[in-house]
Amino acid sequence: MHSFLPVSRREFCQLTTAGIMGVSTSGWLDILALRAAESQTKHKSCILLWMDGGPSHKDTFDMKPGTKYAGEFKPIPTSVPGIHISEHFPKLARLMQHVAILRGMSTGEGAHPRARYYLHTGYREGQGGVVHPSIGSIVSKELSNPDFPLPSFVAISARTYGAGYLGPRHEPLVINDPTRGVENLQALVSAERFQDRVSLLQELEQGFYRTYRSPAAQAHQTMYARAVELMRSKEAKAFDLSQEPASVRQRYGGTRFGDSCLLARRLVEIGVKFVEVTLGGWDTHQNNFVRVRQLSEQVDPAISALIEDLKARGLLESTLVVWMGEFGRTPHINNRGPQPGRDHWPRAWSTLLIGGGIRGGQVIGKTDAEGATVVERPISALDFLATVCTILGIDYNKQYTTPRGRPIRIVDRGANPIKELL
Amino acid sequence: MAQTRWNMRKLAIATLCVLVTAAWTAMGEVKSQTAQQRVARAAALDTAQVVQRIDSIIYDYLAAEKVKPSGPASDADFLRRVYLDITGRIPTAEQAAAFLDSRDPDKRAKLIEQLLASPEYGRHFADEWVRLLVPRNSDNRALRTQPLFDWLAEQFNQNRPWSEIVTALLTAKGTQQENPAVTYFLANQNLDQITNSVCRLFLGNQLQCAQCHNHPFTNWKQNDYWAFAAFFSKVRADNTVRAAKLGNSPGVTEMARFLGRRPNLPESYKALPPKFLAGESPQLRPDEPYRPVLAGWLTAPENPYFARATVNRWWAKFFGRGLVNTVDDMHQDNPPVYPELLELLAQQFVGHNFDLKWLVRTITSTQAYQRSSQPAGDRPADPTLFAQMPVKPMTPAQLFDALAQVVGFNRNLTVRKPAVGAKPGFNIREAFILAFSGDEAADPLDYQAGIPHALRLMNSQMTNAEGLVLQEALRRGKTPEEILDWLYLGMLSRRPTEQERQRFLAYVGQRQYARNAWADIFWALLNSSEFVLTR
Repeated sequence: MHSFLPVSRREFCQLTTAGIMGVSTSGWLDILALRAAESQTKHKSCILLWMDGGPSHKDTFDMKPGTKYAGEFKPIPTSVPGIHISEHFPKLARLMQHVAILRGMSTGEGAHPRARYYLHTGYREGQGGVVHPSIGSIVSKELSNPDFPLPSFVAISARTYGAGYLGPRHEPLVINDPTRGVENLQALVSAERFQDRVSLLQELEQGFYRTYRSPAAQAHQTMYARAVELMRSKEAKAFDLSQEPASVRQRYGGTRFGDSCLLARRLVEIGVKFVEVTLGGWDTHQNNFVRVRQLSEQVDPAISALIEDLKARGLLESTLVVWMGEFGRTPHINNRGPQPGRDHWPRAWSTLLIGGGIRGGQVIGKTDAEGATVVERPISALDFLATVCTILGIDYNKQYTTPRGRPIRIVDRGANPIKELL
Repeated sequence: MAQTRWNMRKLAIATLCVLVTAAWTAMGEVKSQTAQQRVARAAALDTAQVVQRIDSIIYDYLAAEKVKPSGPASDADFLRRVYLDITGRIPTAEQAAAFLDSRDPDKRAKLIEQLLASPEYGRHFADEWVRLLVPRNSDNRALRTQPLFDWLAEQFNQNRPWSEIVTALLTAKGTQQENPAVTYFLANQNLDQITNSVCRLFLGNQLQCAQCHNHPFTNWKQNDYWAFAAFFSKVRADNTVRAAKLGNSPGVTEMARFLGRRPNLPESYKALPPKFLAGESPQLRPDEPYRPVLAGWLTAPENPYFARATVNRWWAKFFGRGLVNTVDDMHQDNPPVYPELLELLAQQFVGHNFDLKWLVRTITSTQAYQRSSQPAGDRPADPTLFAQMPVKPMTPAQLFDALAQVVGFNRNLTVRKPAVGAKPGFNIREAFILAFSGDEAADPLDYQAGIPHALRLMNSQMTNAEGLVLQEALRRGKTPEEILDWLYLGMLSRRPTEQERQRFLAYVGQRQYARNAWADIFWALLNSSEFVLTR
């Protein structure tokens, strides 16, 4: 762990700007040079592939061939004898030795917003009157390097849950369009003029600080210094997908989700600790089979190329890839509409964990013949998040203190991480 | 499933409180009675007398503690501060120049009156109160808040007594269209949500721990919680998501009888007859509405919580922290920094019939409020003593309004609807506020912006266009000096120092295109600490 990890945002800002204001008068960008060169402890990273809407477990990774509501898809064998998955994941099937399928997910929230919140934070929305940090913000807080010029939590394709009481330093940087990168990262004037502007700003800042000595002004300066550094950093080039050959983007599927996964890989390569990629559309109350097939066909090349690329770069052992939604879908099929659909089902569903040093090539947990209830090794939301934390080297029992002074654990009491994975 | 949810919720809340319970047990004592004393009746004093007594209470304490207070704020600092605190806006260049150039010795008092009389006053307080009354959560995603905002703005501007506004909120019934005050109950549908909110906002107490067990720090018992919650047990609020889908205006009713165990009732729920907090159980007929009885107790002059909680919250709005901090955690083991001051203000607030404009006028007229944000010594003073006005970050709403004012309305701005948390009528201002909002419970003196915010302020179209204030300055200023003055007045509410004048005029003189140089200066002022902070 870094010894320098700030206890609070305010202290962090005081620490860093105390440096510039006390020692240097040549401008606040020196702050970045003044930050001690910390030892580059190698922390793990995490890529969360969030399947928004709740994927049907029976049509993806927990198939029940031969049952009444098995659906239209056929299972196929994988590189691991005995493990079968949907025919629409042929590429992933060949990489199953890296993948653990958790078939015993059993959570209690069946409405989208509350379930999303619960699976991102481990707490029920509104519980105790605080806004809880999402797993991305927790990873940012626990594993980020203060010298790193980029935010440690990047969310691609959708706004997601943020830092809650952990404060703005651990909010996600949201990338709406993977091909456009970070919004507002480019100055709208020439580099020369931008430098002129920054110089004017620095002079104003020094004058204001001399007069008022305000911690808020210090924090403002620190944030601007970091933002300007990000604009100028070589790391920011990671956001530019046009630097990848077309063939690589094609391998990821040539879709927006594929581009997002490629961007996630580039970000993890340069040291971003948590990247969340959202693929929406899994809420298949209607037309389940056509839509799940189309979505699976987007996921398969992207997740497979991601695994292969991480492996080729020696990053798979240190990067945990999580594939999940907020719940599963009903074991039975509804025929309310013109095309068959499946409804929300939080009682039994599946997630995937890949890489990060886990033991792949295994299935953990089991559902009944119809995929309706968990009959073996149930996994609660708390168990799941504690597992993710443990894989990443985070003590999930650690307590944070909210701004109101209340102690709250990273993961609430009662969590049992899945030991079989470690 | 709802049952499981509540089970989990109860378990988790209990867990959160375990540590504090352990600490309490270790102390080995149980406080006998922590109930607050009633607010004593006192004759209403002149505002000037109250102001003087507040200042002497603080002055005497600081003198005894040998703390040197900061001097009075400059006219420019006072001007910008009081505009932002009362109306949520920064003054325009004309307004700033008029105030700074006035030689009227009474100009500060007159400005306070002028701001209290402007419609912006009610709109600003309504803006802040909508955010307090309506929690930002997924249950409220389809709830319209504009009717509540309009209603509150009118109440504040007409200076309806706070006791009446709160009574209207607590007893509201009908549809949102008929009575916008029902929005409060629509936004806090569950019995525990409304109970916690009423306790925090109007009584200055955090009762939520007592929901599942006796409160470790205060004397609140679980029975106190559920007996208080019983006042809301007959309220029925429409599901706002369903109403929005059907195109109906959602409503609130109070039924003649208790509704029985509803699906969203917490596991820890206890059916008890209604009882006031640390007070008696009123004699109620089962079929009579409970809420008016509660509102009558809560807003009574002698209620031990209501007036104190209100003046403390208002004090915190102007000073960045309360006399009791955190503002909604008032109990015996968290005493006020100036107990006499809190009592005086609470008694006089009651004596002036819960008059909010009186309260704002009184607070903003004190020397304490009008002190400089410059430390008297080398370092900022201890913020708990009010020896210096802290530099406060603007709220996201204030920042948006300030930007909108200096930039002018920008048609190029577009906003994408976010995938999560979208509300109907999601506009540019709401999108900006959502993007710039930090944690609701964070210390208001903490600077909450991060890198994406800095990037947005530096590199968006909004801040790179030739802003309205700059256009005005270029149109009206005959000399570079006048242009610079106008920019400073319109953006920072002051004129430049001599050093700044020389520096910026030299900058303009050295550049080939003066217009670009002015745009650079506009950009630098807009991105400065001084612009985004209230001094």
